Amino acid sequence: MLSRLVFASANALKGSGPLGAGLVQASRSLHTSSQSLAPLPPLPETGGKVRHGIFPEELFQLLYPKTGVTGPYMLGTGLLVYLLSKELYVINHETFVAASIGAVFIYVVKKFGPSVAAYADKINEEKVAKAQEVKDQAIASYTQDIEDEKKEQWRVEGRSMLFDAKRNNVAMLLETNYRERLHMVTNEVKRRLDYQIALQDLHRRMEQEHMVNWVEKNVIGSITPQQEKQSIAKCITDLKALAKATQVKATT
Amino acid sequence: MVLSLFDQFISPALFGVPLMAIALVAPWLFLPAPGVRWLNNRLLALETSFIGRFTSQLFAPINKSGHKWALILASLMIYLISVNMLGLLPYTFTPTTQLSMNLGLAVPLWLATVLIGMRNQPTAALGHLLPEGTPGPLIPVLIIIETISLFIRPLALGVRLTANLTAGHLLMQLIATAAFVLLPMMPAVAIMTTLVLLLLTILEVAVAMIQAYVFVLLMSLYLQENV
Repeated sequence: MLSRLVFASANALKGSGPLGAGLVQASRSLHTSSQSLAPLPPLPETGGKVRHGIFPEELFQLLYPKTGVTGPYMLGTGLLVYLLSKELYVINHETFVAASIGAVFIYVVKKFGPSVAAYADKINEEKVAKAQEVKDQAIASYTQDIEDEKKEQWRVEGRSMLFDAKRNNVAMLLETNYRERLHMVTNEVKRRLDYQIALQDLHRRMEQEHMVNWVEKNVIGSITPQQEKQSIAKCITDLKALAKATQVKATT
Repeated sequence: MVLSLFDQFISPALFGVPLMAIALVAPWLFLPAPGVRWLNNRLLALETSFIGRFTSQLFAPINKSGHKWALILASLMIYLISVNMLGLLPYTFTPTTQLSMNLGLAVPLWLATVLIGMRNQPTAALGHLLPEGTPGPLIPVLIIIETISLFIRPLALGVRLTANLTAGHLLMQLIATAAFVLLPMMPAVAIMTTLVLLLLTILEVAVAMIQAYVFVLLMSLYLQENV
């Protein structure tokens, strides 16, 4: 019956304090919880407090109410004296051996203890740092991916402007091309019409010249030699009269 | 209790009940095994790091087929170191001071290496009996000498460990006895003797670790020759 009590109280203490880790498996005996090994209760950060390297602090706390601060020391001294006086512990050569081993051990612990502890902590910290680095790298790469994605999204927004500009470009090119072709067509048509006009002009001129030549020829052919002599004589008399008139004009 | 000098080497017994098993198994109590946790306490972190580095350094020159000896040699090393160090405490029994135990460790392991060598590569194993470059007339003599040295190896291993530890313990007892006896008569000399005892203790601590290492190192060397 008492064992059941122990089990029940052990279950209650499962998560707590220094005994917690050791009592995890206690609940398995009563089958009150699912048998899982995780998450394990956390290890205590530091070991139990000790005084003078071996005596647990709890002993001093236990004796304090009844015997005060010097209680445990008196207990130790009394115990030692009892063992020696009753010769339950005999001082012989082994005591010297024990003393020298004790001195060496205490010296080594005091001198190299902190550095060894620091080394052990460093081993653990390196392990944690490696895992942390993996995690940090993963987080960094994901953050970078998020930023890249955002940048791509921003780029996509700008893409429609790019397409508009390209579309404008193409429209402008098409318009220019169309206008050029229109211009060319107009020019060609004008050239053809100019040609026709020039042709017509040529015709008219040729007709005119032909007619003038024909008229001249007929007129010149119709002039009899008598008429010719008469006209020449008139011209001469006209010229003389004119010459006289100018001479008179020149002298006055 | 009244101790003679050789009481420490007697197989321990309490009221007729042999305690040898406790003495042999004692190191197991001080060496935790790595458990479920990913991050362990300091002792486990140091232990795993030490064992890992020691094993990789010991097996670096041995080729792959010898690596299956890693477990036995690493655990032998840890065992010998812990047993030797525990034996330095007062009133403790050191199993490795017994020749029977050390020969029991050395002979089977050595014999295993020789048999492996003879079985897998007999020519090379026999070739180890003749060093390179020996002049012609010396060859028969040298083969005999090398064979003798081959068979002496387990004896050497066992006796080396036994003798070192026994001698060390005995010396400590003697000097401690001297200091103890001189203390009432000539205190100054007793203090000098205690100083000597202190230095000797430091030496014994070193010897305890070195002898374990040498045992395992030589075994790995024999393995390297033969595997």
